[in-house]
Amino acid sequence: MTNSFDDRLAAVLAPPDREPDRDFVLRVTAGIALADRLEARRSALIRSLAGQLAAIASVAASIMILGRSPAVARFAAESPPGTLAALLVSFSFVAVLLVPGIMRGTGGRSWRLEIART
Amino acid sequence: MGDNGEDLALSRRAARGDSAAFAMLVEKHERQLRAFLLRTAGADIADDIAQEAFLKAWRAAGQYDGRARYATWLTSIAWRCRLDQLRRQRPVPVEEAEASVGDSGESAEVADLLDRLDQRERAALVLCEGHGWSHSEAAQLLGMPLGTLKSMVARAKQKCRQMWLGEKHDELV
Repeated sequence: MTNSFDDRLAAVLAPPDREPDRDFVLRVTAGIALADRLEARRSALIRSLAGQLAAIASVAASIMILGRSPAVARFAAESPPGTLAALLVSFSFVAVLLVPGIMRGTGGRSWRLEIART
Repeated sequence: MGDNGEDLALSRRAARGDSAAFAMLVEKHERQLRAFLLRTAGADIADDIAQEAFLKAWRAAGQYDGRARYATWLTSIAWRCRLDQLRRQRPVPVEEAEASVGDSGESAEVADLLDRLDQRERAALVLCEGHGWSHSEAAQLLGMPLGTLKSMVARAKQKCRQMWLGEKHDELV
């Protein structure tokens, strides 16, 4: 009785005797390829965002340094408020035009599409 | 070249980005890994965990140093995936959780007995009694002292035997 049970237990627990499952191997390799592609795009996106943050920080630092210059301070004090407002609006307009182009360049949109497809 | 050496060579090639070498490792080890997961995690999630384990093995291919068997290294990754999956899982009623590792065909009655063991008992029993692992390999994988593992295997086997004999007796009565 004991041997019969031991034999049955060992037989049930042993891996099945079969050929390798090619479909499963293909699924694993395809999954790995997709995960690697997504990882590469994520890294590119992070690198690009880091670059943009650095660019924004350097522009902000430049504006602060320029703002301390007596000539610029005098210009701001002497200019009519309308001119200053117009300059700010123009700068914001250029930023709004440029940022979507920069974001497309990072591949962010296609990365999101890839996730949606999976 | 031994089996370990061959797997180490393939794993090193995989670490350098050779996906064909890794596919050979998958082909060689999927049968055993999926059989282990089928018995410990259940048919509905065994393949998902196996895929996750292979993905992690691909990413960590450079860390395999050939000291242990590749199957041991891979199964330990899969076992950690299984434990993570259990931690993420919402609590389920006991009857529902225990009904997941069933089987069909002639092995069903012994498989039903396995369902009544806890995770670690089941894993220890499958590895030592079914896959021919040494007790020390299984103890290392499950993170427990060798003596504890040995008693766990003996206890799990005894539990199964008693349940099996009990059911046989009930059938006769």
